[in-house]
Amino acid sequence: MMRGIHQNFDQQQAPAFFARGPSPLARLTFFTALSLALMATDSRLQYLANVRENLMTLLHPLQVIANAPLQFYQNTDEYFSTHHYLLTENARLKKQALMQDIALQRLNLLNLENTNLRSMLDAKQSLTETSTLAEIIHVGRDPFTKKIIVNRGKNHHVITGAAAVDAKGVVGQVTRTYPSSSEVTLITDKSLAIPVQIERNGLRAIAFGHGRDNTLDLPYLPANVDIKRGDKLVTSGIDGVYPAGLAVATVIEMRTTQDSPFAHIVCAPTAGVENDKQILLVSIPKIELETAIEALNSEKAIPASPARPATPNNSVPTNPDAQAKKPTQPPSAESPVKKPLANVESRPHAQQ
Amino acid sequence: MRNNKLRSIYFSLFAAFICILFPWSGIALTLRPDFMLLVLLFWLLRAPNQCSVGTAWFMGLWVDLATGGIFGQYALAYTVTTFFAVIYQRRLVLFSSTQQLVYVFSLLLLSQLILLVLKAFAGHEFSGWSYFLPSFSGILLWQIAVTLGLNTGRPSHGN
Repeated sequence: MMRGIHQNFDQQQAPAFFARGPSPLARLTFFTALSLALMATDSRLQYLANVRENLMTLLHPLQVIANAPLQFYQNTDEYFSTHHYLLTENARLKKQALMQDIALQRLNLLNLENTNLRSMLDAKQSLTETSTLAEIIHVGRDPFTKKIIVNRGKNHHVITGAAAVDAKGVVGQVTRTYPSSSEVTLITDKSLAIPVQIERNGLRAIAFGHGRDNTLDLPYLPANVDIKRGDKLVTSGIDGVYPAGLAVATVIEMRTTQDSPFAHIVCAPTAGVENDKQILLVSIPKIELETAIEALNSEKAIPASPARPATPNNSVPTNPDAQAKKPTQPPSAESPVKKPLANVESRPHAQQ
Repeated sequence: MRNNKLRSIYFSLFAAFICILFPWSGIALTLRPDFMLLVLLFWLLRAPNQCSVGTAWFMGLWVDLATGGIFGQYALAYTVTTFFAVIYQRRLVLFSSTQQLVYVFSLLLLSQLILLVLKAFAGHEFSGWSYFLPSFSGILLWQIAVTLGLNTGRPSHGN
């Protein structure tokens, strides 16, 4: 009896004394469910892209504020940098400019020659790309993903898919654009693949980020592939994302094991992926691709309408572009993967 | 009084968020403690009525946004971690500072473990033991703050 009274007393008193709203367990359940739902929505459905974009716009001033101390330090550091240092740097830059001037003169000549040769071959003109200089304002906190935020966005005509390049090579690719900033996924990120070519022998492959150790992998290449330590990988340009011929990485390890038909190839990125301050966002203009696709569509439409059987004049100038584009791109993009796989399939039989 | 405290809670959470947004790089990036979680845990001990699981979840969302990861990862990790802080809050404030230190350290590890599991589901690989360094630097920061006079014990009735 007494015990019962005590219990009643406790139960009545407890809520008043420990007024805390819903119990922690209820809160835990509620917010866990909410987080899980959010994760599912964000990873599988694309509903939250707009929300993220708007929130990032809110966040941008904060990022600028957080960046301010470092910016201030660098500015004052520059201001107080010694006379001697500036002189040596000036001399070095002058020398570099001179050397590049010579190269540039030759480049103009080569460009002209290239245009002529291409017109003689009736080949598509190589794309000219636009570029924007951007500064890194935030490095992702997440140790698993290699992403950086730069201070140029939609307002500066940066498009999703643009390549990020520094003075030494490819850094990554723009994966999300916000109004005044954009997110660049580095080539060392696990989710980023980049079509490359071995500079020495023109062999095509696809390099994947390793996700840690700042390295790249060249998977699915047969054990007898012609790749050596020190080989340079450059972009092949067949994806329409990266301009061709940019340095990507250098092979630092090439290993074959008995139990695997694939070669184990590790490459180190050429560009200062982790220690850049400024990067260049290069995008191949969409318009040229779109005109090519439109030309292709109009070409398809013409045979369907029997009213105009003999109007080849209209379609002729645009067609070579479209036809040259369509057949070359998709197969070449697939071939690097397919070729080695075909080799690999035959290997186990050979060993047995 | 209450308003004053709320203001300092919001201000410290904001400061922690700015700390996360700093342009960290290199070794500092691997060592960077989880400022947000530390501040949250401190307020959970000091002011459990003003700062609770919901606050942690909300701040987790902002951290998710800042890291550019999938929405809800940090939110979930913070929710679960702060839950364990909340249910032991009464005992925790009576603990000696060493006991408190151990408990807070295990909470920091727990949040990192949850994130690791979530990342593993998303297909990422474990990036080596240096992944857990932020927990150590975090607990060091906590100890420094306590040594400098931050009161993590029972809140006095005046506040």
